[in-house]
Amino acid sequence: MDFFHAHQAQHYLVLAAMLFALGAAGVVLRRNAIIVLMSIEVMLNAVNLTFLAFSRFPLVPNSPMGSFLSGHAAVFFVIATAAAEASVGLAIIIAVFRSRTSVNVDEFDTLKL
Amino acid sequence: MAEAILFYLFAIGALAAGAQVIFRRNPIYGALSLVGALFFLSGIYVLLAAHLIAILQIIVYAGAVMVLFVFVIMLLNLKEEELGEQRITVWKGVGLAAVVASFGVIAWRALGPAFPQGALMQGDRRVDNALLVAGFGGVKTVGRILYLASILPFEVTSLLLLVAVVAAVVVAKGRI
Amino acid sequence: MEVTWLHLVPLLPLIGAAICGLVGKWLPKGWVYAVALASVLLSFLIGLRAFIGLGEQAPLFHELWFNWFSAGSLRVDMAFSFDRLSGALTLVVTGVGFLIHVYSVGYMEEDPGYWRYFSYLNLFIAAMMTLVLGDNLVAMFVGWEGVGLCSYLLIGFWFTDEEKAYAGRKAFIVNRIGDFGFLIGIFILFNQVGTVGIAQINSAVLPLGVASIAALCLFIGATGKSAQLPLYIWLPDAMAGPTPVSALIHAATMVTAGVYMVARLSHLYVSAPGVMAVVAVVGVLTALWSALIATSQNDIKKVLAYSTVSQLGFMFIGVGVGAFFAGTMHLVTHAFFKACLFLGSGAVIHGLHGEQDIQRMGGLRKYLPSTRTTFLVATIAITGILPISGFFSKDEILGQALHTRAFSFLTLTPDGSTRLTWLGPLIYAVGSFSAFLTSFYMWRCYFLTFSGEYRGPESVHPHESPSVMTLPLWILAALSVIGLVLGLPQAWVHGTGLQHWTWEHFTDGVFSRPRGGAPEEFSPYLGYGIALIVGWAGWACSYALYFKRGLAGDELLTARIHVLRGALANKLYVDELYDFLVVRPFWALARGLFRLVDATLIDGLFVNGIPTLIAWVGAMARRFQNGDVQRYLAVTALGVAALLYVFLVRG
Repeated sequence: MDFFHAHQAQHYLVLAAMLFALGAAGVVLRRNAIIVLMSIEVMLNAVNLTFLAFSRFPLVPNSPMGSFLSGHAAVFFVIATAAAEASVGLAIIIAVFRSRTSVNVDEFDTLKL
Repeated sequence: MAEAILFYLFAIGALAAGAQVIFRRNPIYGALSLVGALFFLSGIYVLLAAHLIAILQIIVYAGAVMVLFVFVIMLLNLKEEELGEQRITVWKGVGLAAVVASFGVIAWRALGPAFPQGALMQGDRRVDNALLVAGFGGVKTVGRILYLASILPFEVTSLLLLVAVVAAVVVAKGRI
Repeated sequence: MEVTWLHLVPLLPLIGAAICGLVGKWLPKGWVYAVALASVLLSFLIGLRAFIGLGEQAPLFHELWFNWFSAGSLRVDMAFSFDRLSGALTLVVTGVGFLIHVYSVGYMEEDPGYWRYFSYLNLFIAAMMTLVLGDNLVAMFVGWEGVGLCSYLLIGFWFTDEEKAYAGRKAFIVNRIGDFGFLIGIFILFNQVGTVGIAQINSAVLPLGVASIAALCLFIGATGKSAQLPLYIWLPDAMAGPTPVSALIHAATMVTAGVYMVARLSHLYVSAPGVMAVVAVVGVLTALWSALIATSQNDIKKVLAYSTVSQLGFMFIGVGVGAFFAGTMHLVTHAFFKACLFLGSGAVIHGLHGEQDIQRMGGLRKYLPSTRTTFLVATIAITGILPISGFFSKDEILGQALHTRAFSFLTLTPDGSTRLTWLGPLIYAVGSFSAFLTSFYMWRCYFLTFSGEYRGPESVHPHESPSVMTLPLWILAALSVIGLVLGLPQAWVHGTGLQHWTWEHFTDGVFSRPRGGAPEEFSPYLGYGIALIVGWAGWACSYALYFKRGLAGDELLTARIHVLRGALANKLYVDELYDFLVVRPFWALARGLFRLVDATLIDGLFVNGIPTLIAWVGAMARRFQNGDVQRYLAVTALGVAALLYVFLVRG
């Protein structure tokens, strides 16, 4: 791989993997539910980056979907879904905070019973 | 060469801001760092000729979604003692190790010799230019995909957003 | 000849059964009668029309109704074939069945479950027609099981009476034992012939061993259904059902299914001469055995039940010695006179308000003249003291047994003579003695019921039954007389119009000939003479003992042969023997199995063991499910890492 001719799929994929790992680490390590949600946003962005990278640098000559731009459409849907997820997730955090005055995920364990 | 410089600039910026999101103790700093990371990623998207997505990233993500985050953080207004201690457990170590291992596998795959090299448009400047001329990633071409090929998922997404709005109101309001 | 209307014969009664059974409770009584009677009458008329249509051009009507199921090389059709044998049986079943339906209208007048009764009766006709007309063994088996079911339902018709419900279960279970043999026989035949079609089986050439085992298995089924030794014990108890049912199912039609099946598969049986001998010996032993028991029974229906078992034994002698026409002829004539006898006994019971014990009857000829006359005709027919139907058919069987060549399985000598020459005459001798006993017990039954003075309580006033019940009696009595045409010897009718109506001529070509060939032409007169002597001897003994003395005749007989009579009155202790040999060990086995399998294995290991195991696993799994989302995520991340390793590095 040519590090200085940065116009290849691998650069973007490795960057996406790094961001994904960063987000996953945040999800696993942090207790604060808001930060967990933001880490999830980072992971989603890493996925988006992968979609766009493969859309720009396809590995096959013809897209099975008809156009490589379907990757862009997928990203569009991910963004919309992320907005929905963030709104519902934050609403849940507010509701839980009302009853428990805490946003720490390791204290949300009532579902186990 | 210019693309390489821009790529590394944006990539390092995005990673640094992402690390801030994860490791900052106060969520408000995390939220602001996430806005930064989203801006850097938007630059990366431009390098990938995804102009429309880059703009949406800034308007929807950095604009709308992050405002929601900041708003909730302000609403809860967590005190220092309410944030709680950061605890280190064995399971967190296991999770971190698994995440690092996953990253290692993906990177090994992407950078190793097994990655397929025979792709058509890989690094061919003439193809790049032809793509840009054809409006790749612009409003018109992505719009055709969205409204012609993916009209049903598009409409379902609007329904999903509606449901999410109602759900958010019902869940957060407590008593209606 | 292929036709498209044959399925109506079983289908119409089936529809009638569905209507009566499903909505009969809410229909007016007259409608239920109309539906039940009309469906059987229509079946009879279709059968009659088809029967007349049989001729040189159309020796056989066949209908492929639908393909029931196919699996591999097994193809089972709902197909019917109507030849001279099954056609005649169709007429007997639907005709006698219709008469018994008519009779039942009077007999079941008072019973609130009449709609259920007529539904079962129609269902029985449908099943019996499937059995008779089915052109393959599986269709036949459907009818076979169907009549068994109806028999069970009707024996236990008054199911609130524990004893009657028990009798129904006994009949069903004993029949199941036989049906199991029947099924095995079908499996063997399918395995060896590759088809279950009766016509194909009857044209297949089977090795002696295979044919013998298959025929023996099928015969075990026949001993169950047709109440032969050792499975006859259910039939006397089956008298718990309504009397018309005893007449229709447990005397005239269903119990003859075994005889019909053996006659239908005549080719299979003649290719297994050893089984033929078994059939004949079982038949003659049953005839003797149950005739002995019948001499000491005091329940009028029990007498007739044992008489039925005995007469079925005669039919099996007929088919067993290779004279299939004689066995089936006795089947037809027996259907007439035994139905008449049973319906007559039903009229007696009806007239005495439920009394069944002949010790409390007597002198009824004054009160029930029609019943008495028809009963007398049928008794003459079964005892053979005058040459009407039963005389000819029974004598044909005995004559054929005496001269048979069927037991030629040991034909080793070059001239083809049989080794087992003594068996035929022995069967003849024992059969003739059974005929003597038949005459004795039937006349005893007649004398004790109708002669002498009335011995019942004063409060019961015997009365004649309504004409809806006596009319079928007269028709059946007439048929018992007219049936003699079937059995007239060939020499008498040769060249006359009656020749076509003798059963031997009529069924010519339907049955296979025994291996050793048909018996040589023999003069019937000696046999007739002996049969008349035997019949009159039975009458004379009975007359001497019972006509004047009444019940005192029994006491006199008991004084002479005390032990034997005690044993006979207790049905030779067969039920007790079965209780000791089969039922008690079975209960012990069941109790042992209950302790070992139910209590220990199922309750201990499965029912309680599995929850214990699950609870233990759950307690283990609880530790993983502690509600800590991040621990779940860590495990998920581990899984993702493993999957990525497998797909990206190893793959």
